Amino acid sequence: MGLTGLEIFKRLPKTNCKDCGQPTCLAFAMAMAAGKAGLDQCPHVSDEAKEALGAASAPPVALVKIGTGEKQWELGNETVLFRHDKRFEHPTAIAISVSDTMSADEISAKVAKINKLVFDRVGQTHSVNLVAVENASGEADKFAAAVKVAFDNTELPLLLISEDTAAMEKALEVAGSKKPVICGATAANYEAMTALAKKYDTALVVKGTNLSELADLSEKVIALGHKQLLLDSGAREVNKVLADQTQIRRQALKRFRPFGYPTIAFVTSTDPFQSVVDAGIYITKYAGLMVMSSADPADILPLVTLRLNIYTDPQKPIAVESKIYEIGTPGADAPVFVTTNFSLTYFCVAGDVESARVPGYILPVDTDGISVLTGWAAGKFTPEKITEMLQGCGIADKVNHRKVIIPGGVAVLSGKLQELSGWEVLVGPRESAGIASFLKQRWSA
Amino acid sequence: DLPSTLDPLFQKVKLTVPPATLDDSRDDAGRTLAALKQATGIDNARFSLEALNALPGALRRNGWQVTLSLADVKGYIEITGVEPGFREDNYYGLAVDIGTTTVVVQLVDLTDGRTVCVRGTYNKQAVYGDDVISRIVYAVDNKDGRQEMQKAVVDTINELIDQMLPENNIAPADVRAVACAGNTTMTHLFLGIDPEYIRLEPYTPAANSLPPVPAGELGLHINPRALVHCLPGVASYVGGDIMSGARLIEIDRAEELTLFIDVGTNGEMVLGNREWLLACACSAGPAFEGGGITNGMRAMAGAIEHVEIDPANGEVTYNTVGDAKPLGICGSGLIDLISALREAGIIDRTGQFLPRPDLTRWREGDDGPEYVLARAAESGNGKDIVITEADVKNLIRSKGAIFAGIRTMLRMVDLPVEAIDRILIAGGFGRYIGIQDAISIGLFPDVPLEKYKYIGNSSVKGAKMALLSRRVRDEVEALAAKVTYLELSVGNEFMDEFVSALFLPHTDINLFPSLIHAA
Repeated sequence: MGLTGLEIFKRLPKTNCKDCGQPTCLAFAMAMAAGKAGLDQCPHVSDEAKEALGAASAPPVALVKIGTGEKQWELGNETVLFRHDKRFEHPTAIAISVSDTMSADEISAKVAKINKLVFDRVGQTHSVNLVAVENASGEADKFAAAVKVAFDNTELPLLLISEDTAAMEKALEVAGSKKPVICGATAANYEAMTALAKKYDTALVVKGTNLSELADLSEKVIALGHKQLLLDSGAREVNKVLADQTQIRRQALKRFRPFGYPTIAFVTSTDPFQSVVDAGIYITKYAGLMVMSSADPADILPLVTLRLNIYTDPQKPIAVESKIYEIGTPGADAPVFVTTNFSLTYFCVAGDVESARVPGYILPVDTDGISVLTGWAAGKFTPEKITEMLQGCGIADKVNHRKVIIPGGVAVLSGKLQELSGWEVLVGPRESAGIASFLKQRWSA
Repeated sequence: DLPSTLDPLFQKVKLTVPPATLDDSRDDAGRTLAALKQATGIDNARFSLEALNALPGALRRNGWQVTLSLADVKGYIEITGVEPGFREDNYYGLAVDIGTTTVVVQLVDLTDGRTVCVRGTYNKQAVYGDDVISRIVYAVDNKDGRQEMQKAVVDTINELIDQMLPENNIAPADVRAVACAGNTTMTHLFLGIDPEYIRLEPYTPAANSLPPVPAGELGLHINPRALVHCLPGVASYVGGDIMSGARLIEIDRAEELTLFIDVGTNGEMVLGNREWLLACACSAGPAFEGGGITNGMRAMAGAIEHVEIDPANGEVTYNTVGDAKPLGICGSGLIDLISALREAGIIDRTGQFLPRPDLTRWREGDDGPEYVLARAAESGNGKDIVITEADVKNLIRSKGAIFAGIRTMLRMVDLPVEAIDRILIAGGFGRYIGIQDAISIGLFPDVPLEKYKYIGNSSVKGAKMALLSRRVRDEVEALAAKVTYLELSVGNEFMDEFVSALFLPHTDINLFPSLIHAA
C-alpha cells in the first residue's frame, strides 16, 4: 500500500520553501500521496529520505512506453483496484490485428481501415493505438513481409506477435526503429527474445501458461536486466482472463514485483457481439493493452467510449450534464427553470417541479458541479452564463414564451439577466420546496 | 491572556546616552542607537527624519537623558520621536476584531497591558450585503464601491473610538498602535485592497501577509502616525481572525492533536499540532448565527439559547439570554431544538416533519409544517416564534458542512477522529452551548465531552496579544506561513462527506457510537 501524506511529510525537510510549487511541505506530501507530485520536485530532500520514500513511493505498476513520437502510448502506473478509490491512470491501449497469412493488399486495406478508427467523443478525438501483426503462417519471411506492409502504411506503433525468435529478428530489422512491442517471450525462448527487446530497447510481452509460471518467467527476464514488460498469463477464455487480470493487479498493489507491470489481453471470440463484450470486460478489468481482430467502427466505437468513461477522473464534482431536462411532458407554454448542474441541486429542483405537477423545463447551467449560492459566490453562476445557456441550448424553440424562473437566492442577478438575454426574469422562491405554491400564484405563460 | 513579557508594537523607552566628548565623538544617532541596543537589545532601529531633527537638541537639554518613541514596522523598529528627559505619560493601543457582522474594539494601555475598555457594534458594511461575497461584488461592481466599503468599516471603528476615548479622558494622539484581526475579505476591504479575485477561481487574495499602514491613511480617529497591523491570513477564506485564534490557543506548540473550529458563516477550522497544521473553510452559512432562519437571531437579550422538549407531550421549556421575553432563537438554542425535535419524534432523520397533529405545537404553516416554540402571547414582539421545515433543512446543511469539513481534513492526513486530543470551539453561540446536543445532531464528532472546550471570541483576544508583544505578532506570521490550506471545492471528498452528513446525525451511524443505543 502507498504511504500516507503524514508518513511522507515526516521525511520532508519541512522548510516550507515552496520550491516544489506547493505552498507547504504538508501540501506537497499530500500531493505525493495522491500521486500528483513526485519526490524529484523537492530539491532539498535528503538522501536518506529519498531512499526511504523512493522505494515506498515507486509505482506498484511500472510505467511502460510503447511506440515513438506522437503516437506513443503509456501504460501502467496504476495504483488502485477500483477507480473510485483514486483514478485509473493510463487508458487501455487497443490493438487491432492483421495476419501474415493475408495478402499484402488485404493487409494494407485493413491497416487503412484501422487508421480511420478515430472518433469524436465530447469534443476530443479518441482512436485505437496499435496495429498487431500475427505470425500465423509460422514463416519468418512472410512475417517480415507482413510487418513491412503494416509498417509502411500506419503511424501507429506495432505489436509483433510471434514466438519464433528468428521470425521476430527479421521483423525487427524492418520495424525496430519505431519501438514495436515484442510478443513475446515464453519459457522456451525468453533469453533470445529478451536479448532482442534489449537490443531494440522496446517493450516485451512475457507469457506464461499460468500465473505461477508467469511470475517465474517475469523474474528471469528482470534478472536479465530488461524492465519494460507486459504480462500475459496465457489465459484466453474470458472468465479465466478476468480472474488472472484481477490477481495480477491485486498482487502488484501488494508490491509483488514480478507482477508490477501492465498486462496484455487477447480477444479470441470470432462472434462480433461476444468479442466486443469480452473486450469491454478487459478494458474494465485492468488490461493495459487489449488485442482484437475486428476493425469494424461499429465494434470499436462502444469500446473507445467505454474506455473514455472508465478512465475518466472520478475526483471531480458530482454534476449532471448541462442540457434541457423535461419534467413530465412540457408543452410550449411550460415554465422554464434555471438552476446549476450540481447534482444535489438539480435533483432537489427536479423533485419539487415534479411534485408541483406542472410539466416544465429545467436548465442546469454548467457551474462545474457547484450549488446555486456557491456558484454565485465563485462567479460561476452569472447572468452571462445563464444567457449563454438560454440562447445556446435550444429552449427558445421549445416554448412560445420568453419567461425564465431563477432561484430566489440569486434574485440580484435578475436585472442584468433580463437585459442580457431579453427574457423576462421571474424570481422564484428561495427554496425549491416553494416551487409548487410559486407556480400556483405567479405562473402563467 | 497577557503575553508573558510586555513588548508592545509601540513603546516609549527611557534612555541615558553617553555624552559626546573629544574621546567619543560619534554622531548623535549612532551614539543613541548603540545605547538603545545596550539597554533593550533592539538592534534594528532606524530614525525617522522628524526624530533625527529633534535628536541633537533633546540629547543636550536634559543631561543626555531622552525618551524615545519606538514603533514596530515589521522587520525593523522606527524611532518616531525623541523627547528630552524621562517622560511618564501613558500611551494606548487598540485590539480590533473586524467581523463580517460585528466589530469589537478593545482599548488597551500599552504601558501595563491592561484593557481600559471594550466596545462592540454592527459592521456598517452590512448595508452593502450580509456576507463577504455580496460585499466583494459590491466593491467591485460599483464605482467608488471599494472606497465606500472601506469608509463604512472605518466609520464603524471610529464610532467606537469616539465613544471610548473621551469617556476615559484619553487624547486621540495618545493611541499609538493598532492590531487588527479579520477574515481575508474584511482585511482587504479595511485596507482598501482590491478584493475581486478572492472569490474567483483559483481563489487568490492580494496578500496573506500585510504591511503595517499609518492610521492617518485609513482615516482612524487616533494618532495619524500610529501603525495599523493586520494579522496575516492563509488563503481566501482562512484569514487573520482564525490565525489570531490559532495563536491564542498555541495550536502550533501543542503536543496534542488539536482541532480548532470557528462555528460561523465561513466555518473556518484548523487541525494540527506543533508538527503540522491544516486549515479549511467549509462555508457553513449563517444559520448558527441566526441568519436564514425564520426566527433566528444572534445571542443577545431575548434570544432563546436553551431548549428542552418533553417527548411525552411535545411541550417545551426554554431559557433566553438575559431572561428577557423571547424574540427569536440563537445558535445554541437551535442546536438544542433540532436535537429535541428529533428525540420527540417530531422530525425524522432527514429533517422532514412527521405528521403530529396530536401535538398542540405542531401545525401547518405557509411553508409546510412548523413547530411553535413560543406563542405570540408570551413573546417579546407579539409574534409566534416557530421553526419551519426549511429552517431545519438549512441547519442540517450548516451542520453537515462543518462535520464534512472536519472529516475531509482528517481524511487528507489519514487520521481517525479518535486521534484528536482536544477540540476548541470559537463562535458567538450564547452561554448554553450543548456539546452533547451538538454531537447528537452530528455537528461535532462523537468523542468524549472532556475533549471539548468553548473559548468565545478568540479573534480579538489574539489581536490583543499581538498588540502587546512584537514576538507574538511575529509568531502569528510564522504560524500562518506554516498552515496548509485545503481547498474543499477541489475533488469530491468534501462533497461526498457533505452529502453523507445531511442526516441526523449522519448517514453512517457508526460514526456516532454513543448514539447507537439511542437510535
